[in-house]
Amino acid sequence: MPFTVPEKADWLAKVQLFRGVPRPALERIAERCTEVDFPAGHYIVQQGQIGNGLYLIVTGRAKVVRGDVEIAEFGPGDFVGELAVLDQMPRAASVVAEDDVTCLALASWDLNALIEQEPAVAMNLLRELTARIRSLGQQHHH
Amino acid sequence: MSQNDLVDTMAGLVLFGDLGRPQLAEAAHTFTEEAFPAGQRILRQGFAGSGFYVILAGEVAVRIDGEERARLGKGDFFGEMSILLGEPPTADIVAIGPLRVLQLGGPDLEAFLKRHPMVMYRMLLSVARRLSNANRRRS
Repeated sequence: MPFTVPEKADWLAKVQLFRGVPRPALERIAERCTEVDFPAGHYIVQQGQIGNGLYLIVTGRAKVVRGDVEIAEFGPGDFVGELAVLDQMPRAASVVAEDDVTCLALASWDLNALIEQEPAVAMNLLRELTARIRSLGQQHHH
Repeated sequence: MSQNDLVDTMAGLVLFGDLGRPQLAEAAHTFTEEAFPAGQRILRQGFAGSGFYVILAGEVAVRIDGEERARLGKGDFFGEMSILLGEPPTADIVAIGPLRVLQLGGPDLEAFLKRHPMVMYRMLLSVARRLSNANRRRS
């Protein structure tokens, strides 16, 4: 059964990306989010495609693969697909559902508007991307 | 550098590219201009207590365990990762030649970015590009 807007907003409130965002803004974001289901094995985003949005994982797990190499694994509360929206380059990696995955999808233009209107979201996103860069560097190292 | 010249220089940097003259003046006031001689280490791998730096002129080397990994030049910035994550730098940043930078204390970065969402957006784009490149190098 699809989530209602308040249910989506409740869920968004618990996600790191939206920490510090006031409730009315969360409700506006929730209205923009579309629920999308991906059966196990299906692509959530595909390498080489133009980025059309951000996917927040509500349930299930997904892996990020580039060519044949698994780069990362993500689960509930994580988001994928943001890089192609930000740098407007084709997607650098694919994200594949490992089991049945339910996402909330936010279109590129809604994400860009959100970043401009909600400094807290931009800050959380900046922090998360920075952490991902650092963790890649550490994997390189060891 | 006079305040006016500084604002002119800042207007040419990508990070501040969306700011109007009054906002640039405010930003110039918030940051401190600093100069370093060649060979000076500005950030030290593994040591806490650092700031955010934007390069006005000159070049720096990014060194990890003594090995050069990258060079940064005019308009590039460094130090934000440690501040945002609350962890010590994972690289040394060393001036290659005479270097001029804008410096902002770590605790002031978040407030500055929230006051200037377009600067934060530019920083986000740059960090996203860096992450994309890091992902590409990995595979």
